Amino acid sequence: MADVTNIFKAVVKGIKSRKKQLPGDGKNEERHSIFPTPKHRGDFEVNAKEVVSAITKLKDLLLKHRKDYVNAGSHLIGEASSMTDAEREKIDTEAQNIIKKCQDNLQTVKKNAEAEKVHPQVKEHREYVLALINSYLKVVCKIYSEQRAVRVKRVVDKKRISRIEPERRLSRQYSRNSDTDNISSNAQLPSTSSGNTASPKVIQRVPSQTPNYDDSDDDISPEEAQMFEQENKAMYDEMNSLSEEISKIQGKVVEIASLQEIFTEKVLQQEEDIVKIADTAVFTTENIKEGNEEIREAMKKNAGFRVWILFFILVLTFSLLFLDWYSG
Amino acid sequence: MASSLREKQIHALKRMLNFNTPVNKSTNAEPQWKVLVYDRFGQDIISPLLGVKELRDMGVTLHLNLHSDRDAITDVPAVYFVMPTDDNVQRICRDLQNQLYDSYYLNFISAIPRQKLEDLASAAIHCNSVPQVSRVFDQYLNFISLEDDMFTLRHQDRDSISYYSINRGDVRDTDMEQIMDTIVDSLFSVFVTLGTIPIIRCPRGNAAEMVAERLDKKLRENLRDARNSFFTADSVQAGQFSFQRPLLVLLDRNLDIATMLHHTWTYQALSHDVLNLKLNRVEIEEASEVKSPGGVRPTKKKKAYDLNTSDRFWQLQKGNPFPTVAEAVQEELDAYRTKEDEVKTLKAAMGIEGEDESAISMLSDNTAKLTTAVSSLPELLEQKRLIDMHTNVATALLDQIKSRKLDVYFETEEKLMSKATLDNLLEIISDPEAGTPDDKLRLFLIALICGPTLNDAQIDQYCVALQGANCDIAAISYIRRWKSYTKMTAAPSQYGGGGTKTVNMFSKLMSQGSQFFMEGVKNLVIKKHNLPATRIVDALMEMKTMQDIEDYRYFDPKLLRADSSIPRSRSPFQEAYVFVIGGGNYIEYQNLVDYAKGKSTNVPKKVVYGCSDLSNASEFLKQLGRLGQEM
Repeated sequence: MADVTNIFKAVVKGIKSRKKQLPGDGKNEERHSIFPTPKHRGDFEVNAKEVVSAITKLKDLLLKHRKDYVNAGSHLIGEASSMTDAEREKIDTEAQNIIKKCQDNLQTVKKNAEAEKVHPQVKEHREYVLALINSYLKVVCKIYSEQRAVRVKRVVDKKRISRIEPERRLSRQYSRNSDTDNISSNAQLPSTSSGNTASPKVIQRVPSQTPNYDDSDDDISPEEAQMFEQENKAMYDEMNSLSEEISKIQGKVVEIASLQEIFTEKVLQQEEDIVKIADTAVFTTENIKEGNEEIREAMKKNAGFRVWILFFILVLTFSLLFLDWYSG
Repeated sequence: MASSLREKQIHALKRMLNFNTPVNKSTNAEPQWKVLVYDRFGQDIISPLLGVKELRDMGVTLHLNLHSDRDAITDVPAVYFVMPTDDNVQRICRDLQNQLYDSYYLNFISAIPRQKLEDLASAAIHCNSVPQVSRVFDQYLNFISLEDDMFTLRHQDRDSISYYSINRGDVRDTDMEQIMDTIVDSLFSVFVTLGTIPIIRCPRGNAAEMVAERLDKKLRENLRDARNSFFTADSVQAGQFSFQRPLLVLLDRNLDIATMLHHTWTYQALSHDVLNLKLNRVEIEEASEVKSPGGVRPTKKKKAYDLNTSDRFWQLQKGNPFPTVAEAVQEELDAYRTKEDEVKTLKAAMGIEGEDESAISMLSDNTAKLTTAVSSLPELLEQKRLIDMHTNVATALLDQIKSRKLDVYFETEEKLMSKATLDNLLEIISDPEAGTPDDKLRLFLIALICGPTLNDAQIDQYCVALQGANCDIAAISYIRRWKSYTKMTAAPSQYGGGGTKTVNMFSKLMSQGSQFFMEGVKNLVIKKHNLPATRIVDALMEMKTMQDIEDYRYFDPKLLRADSSIPRSRSPFQEAYVFVIGGGNYIEYQNLVDYAKGKSTNVPKKVVYGCSDLSNASEFLKQLGRLGQEM
């Protein structure tokens, strides 16, 4: 593809120099200043460009902090992450604010554009410009929500992993407790089953301490202790199953939420069509009513017309008979 | 991995729409909106390649014709894609005067001559808008790519370079020069877009030779001009890494007229012949019945369908004979129905399960299934749309085939082309039900060209019969003269090898309860035989010696001396571009595609077909008629 812009500019220069040699009207050429004349840009254009630049800034911000945010390093607690949760939260809220602001700006630009009276081509053009900006905003929002989803997933994974350890250690500890008939472990267990991100170190200490508690408590008899233990076991199982179900339900709810989102989108798309159809239906009923009225009028007039025709024919008949009688 | 001509053209167009900066692949770029202004040539070039949705993705908000009334949309850059004709340049100057847009990116489809550039410059100076003209480009995209391996030159202005204009008796030298220049310019743009220089072969003594000489000269000039050459090492590197140069075969339509009149049996060729496939678009009249109190009134609606490369079914089936296509549509419909039933059972299961709240585990499976079903719903809808479209197209074709008895014509013509006798020719011609007058005329012309020689008395007898069937026999006189001029008595022998197997197959389809009632329509299997054009291309590519190509000229623009008589013996060519001057059609294209596929056993052979314009048989027949009348 040949770029002939330079040839064009050379030609322009050539023609200008040719014109200068001729004594033409100098008015046109005085206006050429070194700087191009400032162009009057319409409001729509200026505002639209502003919104686009805001979205670009947001995108740059997200991409810049992306590496730190995601922290593709490790799950293990203890390794220094370059971004604390607080900073992540801050970025999240900032991003959300900017998105909200962009959306509002876009709406105002849209309203202003609709209020203005312009040519239909310009209107169409503006519509599509707004659609383009909208889709750009959606793309950037997707980046943001992806990042966020990764972060949430990591947190959930972390929680899940850290929970498995206590459960495993608890089950091991159980086998030991059932042998030693320990009561104090009961006190420990409810606390550990309710706590989730508690470090496993606390539990490690317990087995070492359990043998000491054997003789200290003499209020509770061994049978009652065993009963308590069984009760505890049952409660623990119940709690476990409940928590499992809860986690499952969580997963399902997330899926349902995504499905709902898809459905809302589709429903919103259909809403427009449905509104149109409703309007058309209303217009149709009104037209039909008017049509019925017109038909009734027509029928009446038809009836009246018929009466007049019959009358006319009767008159003619009688006049014929009269003439016949008269001449005959 | 060579990308095809079509892809290169799309890439060039996208780059143009991106203000002539290379298109980067990231989708996160800021949207830059623009207005696209084209003339009818630009429209023909863009419409098979980029749909409205793709234009919007590139940021084009409005696309307007150059010569329509356009309102001033200031603050927006405008991309112009027009031919450098006087009218267009004047209109652009007017636009500059009226200050319609903010900045102007002018892209001319072929090179703009110096004079018009000066006109443009003076108009720009006159209205003080020189800084607004941001860039001026010569795009060299003066051709229309319809498929990956097929291109034509003109669609909306095809009369200027049709067979009629080239071969009519009163053509003036200046007209001929103009036509040749147009064709050479377009071929030059094809090779600029590809970035390679071909080796040119052409027969002697007709339009093809003239075009070849001029093209050779133009390529040579451009190569020698070291500053502005398009074929520098950079462009070759950017393109494919084939070390062989392609072969350009220039042929004239007078080589083989019978193919243009032939009745056909493959899907794409049928839709071109019967339904007027234009720029990959078909228009079908659908008769829908509207029930009103006054009775049933059939109203006809015109629906347009796009048949292009994104349609997977079309890509597979376009070269297949019609009954195969009908079966394939049926299969697709069945597959779609099973998928639809799956979704429906899921819906029923969900409905039942929704009342039972305790079965959370069941819900989990269904939720997952529902997610997949919902996400695959758009695909299913798209598939349904495609199947509907192909069903409609195939039904329309079938109606025409049945009413005009096109299968009988096809069979007879195939027999004629393989030099069988023409006993039932007179019956067919005098049969009032079998086909339109055009069909009968085509059959007779093919008999005249390919069949055994008839003496004058027999010909007159046939003419009487044809006139009785409302045919216009002017074309016959032209064909007779053509036959005597071109010593093409050898031509019929080149059609040899074609035979057809008539298998009454309606048993199979009827048993499937198909909606295509093909009773009475014979299943004709096309035997693979090569048309004359394919034979010549085969001989040239494989460096065989054949009697007809002995005296073909040889041009190599890269040679320092313009010595055209000694072909350097090289290895067989892997890539060939076949260009027919005077019109082409899908039958030849399909034949070349089949040939290329057949030959690509271990090393891929690429054959690209081009023609000056695509005429279907009825249009070509009209041209022959006009030529005959003017004789």
